[in-house]
Amino acid sequence: MFKYGGYAGQILEVDLTRGKTLTKPLDKKLARGYLGGAGLCSRVLYDEVGPRTRPLGPENVLIIAAGPLTGTLFPQASRHVIAAKSPLTDIWGESHAAGHWGPEMKFAGFDAIVFRGRSPRPVYLWIDNGKVEIRDARKLWGHDVYETDDMIKEELGDGMIKLLYIGQAGENLVRFAAVMNDLDRASARSGMGAVMGSKRLKAIAVRGERDIPIADKKNYVKLMDELHAKMLADPFTQGRADYGTPSLVELMNEIGRLPTRNYETGVFEHAEEIGGKLIRRKYLVKPRADFACLQRCGRYTCVPEGPYKYIGGSPEYETLACMGSKCGIGNVEAILYMHYLCNRYGMDTCSCGGTIAWAMECFERGLITEKDTGGLDLSFGNHETMVEIVKMIAVRKGFGNLLAEGSYRAAQKIGRGAEKYFMGIKKQELAGQDGRAQKSMGLGNATAARGADHLYAFPVLDEVGFEKAIKERFGAKYLPEMGEKLNPKYKGLMVKECEDFAVVVESVGICKYGTMIPPTFYYKDVLRALNATTGMGLRERELRRIGERIVNLNRMFNVREGIRRKDDTLPERLLKEPSPEGPPKGHVVELDQMLDEYYKLRDWDLRTGLPIEKKLRKLGLDFTIKDLRRARRKRG
Amino acid sequence: MRLGVDVPYLYGDPIKCTGCRICELYCAFCHEKALNPKKARLRVVRMEPAIDKPIACRQCADPPCAKVCPTEAITRNNKVDVVILNQSKCIGCGACVEACPFGAIWLHPESKKAIKCDLCQACIKRCPTNALSVVTSEKFANQKRLDLVNRLKPIMLERIQMPRE
Repeated sequence: MFKYGGYAGQILEVDLTRGKTLTKPLDKKLARGYLGGAGLCSRVLYDEVGPRTRPLGPENVLIIAAGPLTGTLFPQASRHVIAAKSPLTDIWGESHAAGHWGPEMKFAGFDAIVFRGRSPRPVYLWIDNGKVEIRDARKLWGHDVYETDDMIKEELGDGMIKLLYIGQAGENLVRFAAVMNDLDRASARSGMGAVMGSKRLKAIAVRGERDIPIADKKNYVKLMDELHAKMLADPFTQGRADYGTPSLVELMNEIGRLPTRNYETGVFEHAEEIGGKLIRRKYLVKPRADFACLQRCGRYTCVPEGPYKYIGGSPEYETLACMGSKCGIGNVEAILYMHYLCNRYGMDTCSCGGTIAWAMECFERGLITEKDTGGLDLSFGNHETMVEIVKMIAVRKGFGNLLAEGSYRAAQKIGRGAEKYFMGIKKQELAGQDGRAQKSMGLGNATAARGADHLYAFPVLDEVGFEKAIKERFGAKYLPEMGEKLNPKYKGLMVKECEDFAVVVESVGICKYGTMIPPTFYYKDVLRALNATTGMGLRERELRRIGERIVNLNRMFNVREGIRRKDDTLPERLLKEPSPEGPPKGHVVELDQMLDEYYKLRDWDLRTGLPIEKKLRKLGLDFTIKDLRRARRKRG
Repeated sequence: MRLGVDVPYLYGDPIKCTGCRICELYCAFCHEKALNPKKARLRVVRMEPAIDKPIACRQCADPPCAKVCPTEAITRNNKVDVVILNQSKCIGCGACVEACPFGAIWLHPESKKAIKCDLCQACIKRCPTNALSVVTSEKFANQKRLDLVNRLKPIMLERIQMPRE
């Protein structure tokens, strides 16, 4: 049995080229140094993938990992992480999802699955309580996520198995294809679905009946009862349960942070028509929780009739912003329906919406014409066309084939100055944030390892005024500046600390809701649960160091791919064009100032953005130093 | 067979239940100190569209599982109103699993002996949406009658407020 509780204790390695599988014990040093989930992925990928790896080639490695708390009673302990070199950004790629799949993988006996090679024909993996089988998926290929779910459950004769899969977008190597699980849960960002498609891996079915062992059995129930009570007592929890994240639409519109018409402004005139209140009133069927979730922000919605009729999972705020306001779409039923389409095809709604928003702006400016689009009118707000475009992207038809490459590559191909309107970082589209209205989000997006990404740091403490949490986590001396979203002061510190904590959260397998927003649990609570579960006896200092270690390792992964300070930037529009209206009127993102503070705190070189050797050694990352030296030589 | 209608059992409301399965985990841990939903004495069944239904033993007044049990491991204790399963008598044949019309009894993944809800109620207070409760059919029917009659209220109010001549 594995030394620590919380872990299944085994890793499954799958060689898709040869059709062979191998069960290996989990390395306990790896568990102690990187915890699991995001941290585990980080280490395995650093060792196995590099600048020569083509993201869609058989040499790329795809890892799916759960953390030691995944599948336990910690509030929202339902997460798994998927990582590979990204086909969208060509650098570090990772994506996370909740659901019931990650816990089931652990009940089936595995902490992680590592896929190498490429299968000669479409296959899916069936893990039945530790027994592994690679099965033919030729008849599943070409089917969407919902159909695949039905077909595999029927084939295996068990309606309760948990499934993870790709839809047509992943099969067709759309660069922002998602990996889906439990029907509506998406590991959406950085194109992990395309990597899975390139390996001709359609799905992973799991069923498990093994224990997750607990180290401190005596006090476990008491501790969990206490954490559950703390979570439920947070006033934020009921709001989340009632509205989910869509209520952020109204809130973000109020603070001028709702990206509208490809970031022309942060205030959308139709915000209320696509917001959380309306969705709850008119379309909500039921809140739907993931495993061990007390927040239950997942929704189930239905448009009962009309052209956008559907029943299924409901969009998050990001989708409403990216496929709604960003594209000038005020028809909520169209947005709900496009989200439903993206779920079925298996596509990231952020990058899909972001790419279409870019195309729309280019169309309005005459950089893209009907000659390029095949006669489609891509004006902002044209939802009929947008629905068609979403379908065309998933199957790479006509103009959709260009957009399936993502807006960065599409802009390069179109030329004519279209590059200027690409609203993303490191080739990935921004999600639903405008850094001009919340400076910490501007910085967090610029520094995130997987390209434009609000979740890597998820610095939300200044978003709606969590002064109490700032006081607890940083100290009263940083108030009021740190809590002011338009003030760049102390945002370097905030983003750095948030990144470190966020990777710990993703490594132990819990959710950013409950840890980042609302900021209910911090290191202390996570540590108590982690020690009670695993018996590792970690101290807070060690846990914080693990966070720093993972962030620096991801940085070194990207450094090896050529990422430097010049890449930690924002689209020109956010740096130079002042926000035109609302509270942030007149504001741009003071990126350099915040970035300097951030680099200093990270011990990264101010000019190049390279970590320093001493820091890497201190974090136990000695194996990265040869790559750091090579990177320095390249520069000089 | 027990006569009377007030048989308490664990009821899961499919409208309130969000399918988080916290009940399964607490149940398994409280009974066996192990986190393993397959060792839980209740199961949450998820099906589309948007159905999440906790299923547990209904402590039947005339339990079919007891009738078919060849070793008399299942008996009904009418004093405490619970169908009791004696693990030491159980031989793990699964006859009870076949007999139960609700799928509310199943075999333990390791011991392969039958397990089912013993009405310990550890899950009830931990349910974040209060979807679980101990009810009796009498209470249940009573509530249904009240809900139904409640719908007549507006009609009655309208009548009362009508001008009388």
